Amino acid sequence: MFAYYLQLGLRSLKRNPILTALMVAGIALGIAASMTTLTVLHLMGSDPIPWKSDKLHYVQLDNWSPDEPARDDGSPPDQVTYQDAAALMKAAKADKQAAMFKLVLPVQPENKELKPFSSLIRATGSDFFGMFEPRFKYGATWNHDQDDAHERVVVLGNDINEKLFGGQDSTGRSVRLDGIDYRIVGVLDKWNLRSRYYDLTNGAFADPDEMFMPFTTAIDLKKRSSGNNSCWKSAGDGWDAYLTSDCVWLQMWVQLDSPQHLAQYKEFLDNYVNEQKKLGRFARPLNNRLLDVKEWMSDQKVVSRDMEVQTGLAFAFLAVCLVNTIGLLLAKFTRKSGEIGLRRALGASRREVFTQFLIESGVVGLTGGVIGLMLTGLGLLAVRALYTQYKTVAYLDWSMVATTIALAIAAALLAGLYPTWRACRVQPAAQLKV
Amino acid sequence: MLTMTHLQKVYRTHLIETYALRDFSIRVNDGEFVAVTGPSGSGKTTFLNICGLLEEFTGGEYQLDGVNVRGLDDNARSRLRNEKIGFIFQSFNLIPDLNLFDNVDVPLRYRGFGAAERKQRIEESLTRVGLASRMKHYPSELSGGQQQRVAIARALAGSPRLLLADEPTGNLDSLMARGVMELLEEINRQGTTIVMVTHDPELAARAQRNVHVIDGQVTDFDAEPSLRPATSGDAAVAAIA
Amino acid sequence: MEIRPILSALMRSKVSMILIGLQVALTLAIVCNALFIIGQRLDRMQRPSGMNETDTFWLGSYGFGANYDAKAQQQADLVALRSMPGVVAATSTNSVPMSGGGWGEGLSLQPGQKNSTAQTTLYITGTQGLDAFGFKLVEGRDFRPEEFTFVKFGDQPHPQSIIVSKALADKLFPDSSAIGKQVYSEDKPTTIVGVIERAQQPWMDSDSIEYSTLLPMYMPYGNSTRYLVRAEPGRRDEVMKAVEQKLVEANPSRIVGKVKSIADIRRDAYAEDRAMAIILGAVIIALLAITALGIVGMASFWVAQRTKQIGTRRALGATKADILRYFQTENFIITTLGLIAGGVLAYAFSLWLMHAYQSPRLPWYYVPVGFIALWLLGQLAVLGPAMRASRVPPAVATRNV
Repeated sequence: MFAYYLQLGLRSLKRNPILTALMVAGIALGIAASMTTLTVLHLMGSDPIPWKSDKLHYVQLDNWSPDEPARDDGSPPDQVTYQDAAALMKAAKADKQAAMFKLVLPVQPENKELKPFSSLIRATGSDFFGMFEPRFKYGATWNHDQDDAHERVVVLGNDINEKLFGGQDSTGRSVRLDGIDYRIVGVLDKWNLRSRYYDLTNGAFADPDEMFMPFTTAIDLKKRSSGNNSCWKSAGDGWDAYLTSDCVWLQMWVQLDSPQHLAQYKEFLDNYVNEQKKLGRFARPLNNRLLDVKEWMSDQKVVSRDMEVQTGLAFAFLAVCLVNTIGLLLAKFTRKSGEIGLRRALGASRREVFTQFLIESGVVGLTGGVIGLMLTGLGLLAVRALYTQYKTVAYLDWSMVATTIALAIAAALLAGLYPTWRACRVQPAAQLKV
Repeated sequence: MLTMTHLQKVYRTHLIETYALRDFSIRVNDGEFVAVTGPSGSGKTTFLNICGLLEEFTGGEYQLDGVNVRGLDDNARSRLRNEKIGFIFQSFNLIPDLNLFDNVDVPLRYRGFGAAERKQRIEESLTRVGLASRMKHYPSELSGGQQQRVAIARALAGSPRLLLADEPTGNLDSLMARGVMELLEEINRQGTTIVMVTHDPELAARAQRNVHVIDGQVTDFDAEPSLRPATSGDAAVAAIA
Repeated sequence: MEIRPILSALMRSKVSMILIGLQVALTLAIVCNALFIIGQRLDRMQRPSGMNETDTFWLGSYGFGANYDAKAQQQADLVALRSMPGVVAATSTNSVPMSGGGWGEGLSLQPGQKNSTAQTTLYITGTQGLDAFGFKLVEGRDFRPEEFTFVKFGDQPHPQSIIVSKALADKLFPDSSAIGKQVYSEDKPTTIVGVIERAQQPWMDSDSIEYSTLLPMYMPYGNSTRYLVRAEPGRRDEVMKAVEQKLVEANPSRIVGKVKSIADIRRDAYAEDRAMAIILGAVIIALLAITALGIVGMASFWVAQRTKQIGTRRALGATKADILRYFQTENFIITTLGLIAGGVLAYAFSLWLMHAYQSPRLPWYYVPVGFIALWLLGQLAVLGPAMRASRVPPAVATRNV
């Protein structure tokens, strides 16, 4: 029976090509607009590490001025000072911990055909790889001892390994950065991060990090962060003054594997700050935060408000398209009341008429969905062209393809429901006498 | 009232010409009640459409109440229809979304009467057909006979000189048909000219004069209204009832 | 015209009317708010930076190796840049307006003041700074050559004299001229010697975007320096091409790059606003198209459904114009009802945006303008079907189907 209804639906749609085209276009446009924005929104805001996002916590300590809060809403600064990061790393009270900062250094390739270029480096601890779980292609991370010895070692990202060594296993070889040679201990596989969630301060959609080196080594070489640096009072002159200043310029992440560990770590932080208070720092009331990945992303508004507004508008647009389709289906089905009356008189039950017309609506939805999917592809292409920084979040994945088709069919069925209900209420007799 | 001389109506497609009316001549005097009869496809409806200015003709002359209709533009024809002609259709053609008052109001609106005059005319004509008490009802709430009465009221509201009826009882049972027929006779007695198209000989017999149309030509005239046996139609209707 | 009978006829087919009305209502609400957002973005994009944006570009030099002398190289580069043909002025600077990255600092009127009086950005510029930026001096004087000092990387800059933007001068000294006045940064005094008409901060979303300060200093950031170059009118692209070559030749032990015109910096700074405006514009067009097509579809359906009725009206004396007017009036009524609902919806939408995103209130005139636009759209959309209706022959009335 389904095949028969499908055939009837297709034939009926073919008979009114303009009306059908209008309905399909309406669904397709509405679906394309809402799916384009929804895809970007979904990928922007989606959990980048779902299996452990509740175990990774971002450390915030309120070392700000007694006279004014770091942010207007009273929340603590979004980064920590060197002395606090160093102390927390040294205490090592979490299951894993990684302090980090952004660094830009010139790379002097061995291959003389390559011009020197500047490269984006993450200075961090060896725990970083265990916490954020990029896969290694060759070698592995440096170890804690190498951290402590501030050894001159690096882990290369996949792209820079391609560039410098043609993608070969380069572990054991070295790379020269700003006149100093670093031994390569590991090479990462491709790491498709939608957002660089571990450093939101310096831009969730900024260029990806190209290599990694021990945080201790970078400090030892007196390398200043190329990222954000905020001070509420003067850092003073020179490197040593900078390290002991209350300027914040590092991100500090900890992995806490159980709620007990989280509670213990909170307590530890409170104790730490209280100790520091005795030394004359931390003039503000106790205000430590340990947000997890999703909380931190929402706090830092990774999903831009423009995207939210666009998504809202796109769904309102979809609503208009649906209303439009309801109207057109109603028009179409009302014109067929004669046929319905005839079918009823020939023995079709109300349910069969209902099924027949709902299938016709579904066909409109499916067609609209397929065209809408293609338009969504175009829409995402446009988003990538308009927002160059969103290239990692403006692509269709399978779940979104499925969602698009499902949404289109659901939308068309929803739109078809009322007209279909009206159609089945046609009395068999009413249309036949004349 | 109206005179058609050598009227011609040809439907042309790119292959064939079909004559709906061929050398059609007729004269209807003021105050007459004429029935036009003929089999299906004889040209009755074409005659009625041309008579009521719903369609144009391709040859001949047509004088309606002293106006030469030939060559009038669409607006002038609409105006003439509105002022001089009242229509009664087989399927009533009431507007289902309007109540009786508003249905009767339709031609009066196009006439451009003021609100007070329209109201007075609507009430008068609905009273005349006996439906004044149901002014706020919608057509679907009425029986077929009542609907046709509303249609008659609508036709009369603008005080037309000519009433054109197209199978006015075709969709009615015989009891209702008799009522409608009596109403038409009553209207005719009060001075309105009526031209009625029908294929029902019983009904035609009640008119003063019969015109028989076959193949788009008038084949048979009752020249003298008085020759008609006045009672046979009544008897037939009575027998069916 | 006959509004009451049309209205009462419409009330008998409420669903179709509600559907079109709803569509018009949503369209009005979305279009008004989207247009308002577009307007805001365009206004934002129009904001002047205060600098010459057509003839200027900037670039970075990043030296490496133990023997690299950033301070000496900076001076040599400035000499080299200034000697290039087509260059009007060149200076070193830590940042430029709209670039998104820079140095922020609080200025106070008193030493030891708890909260600073104004937040400013610091442009740490060498000689020819005003010329290279194209900032217009409106009061006081430019820096004197002897006022320029060298600051070691990692030390705090404490200049003797500064030049501030007019907006900052007015904020600091609303009642008198700022020239010659002392202000404090980190409790160290400095004197305002000049005021420039306008200079934007590097951050587009700053609350104090007009508050900028120029410092007469040379301060390479480690081994990196940035230069701002102003070319003769029309020669910017030519100079941009030559400059990288020139500096690398002068000292190959470095990376010269990120050569970018200020016009491109502006384009990138407002890329999101432009994208938002374009996307919303596309949504508006699509929405109006869908609504218009919806009206065409529904009106066509109504015409088809009422063919007999139209024929009857024609038979009863309606002219073609009467029929045309009937459908136009009907559309006008539906659109108006939708627009009234849409007006309320538009303000509700605006309230939500105000609440959720701190947007400004929708100005009152957007809704009436939207009314007119959608009335016109509705009338245009219904014109086709209404014309078709007016062509229904009156003879349809006598057809018995």
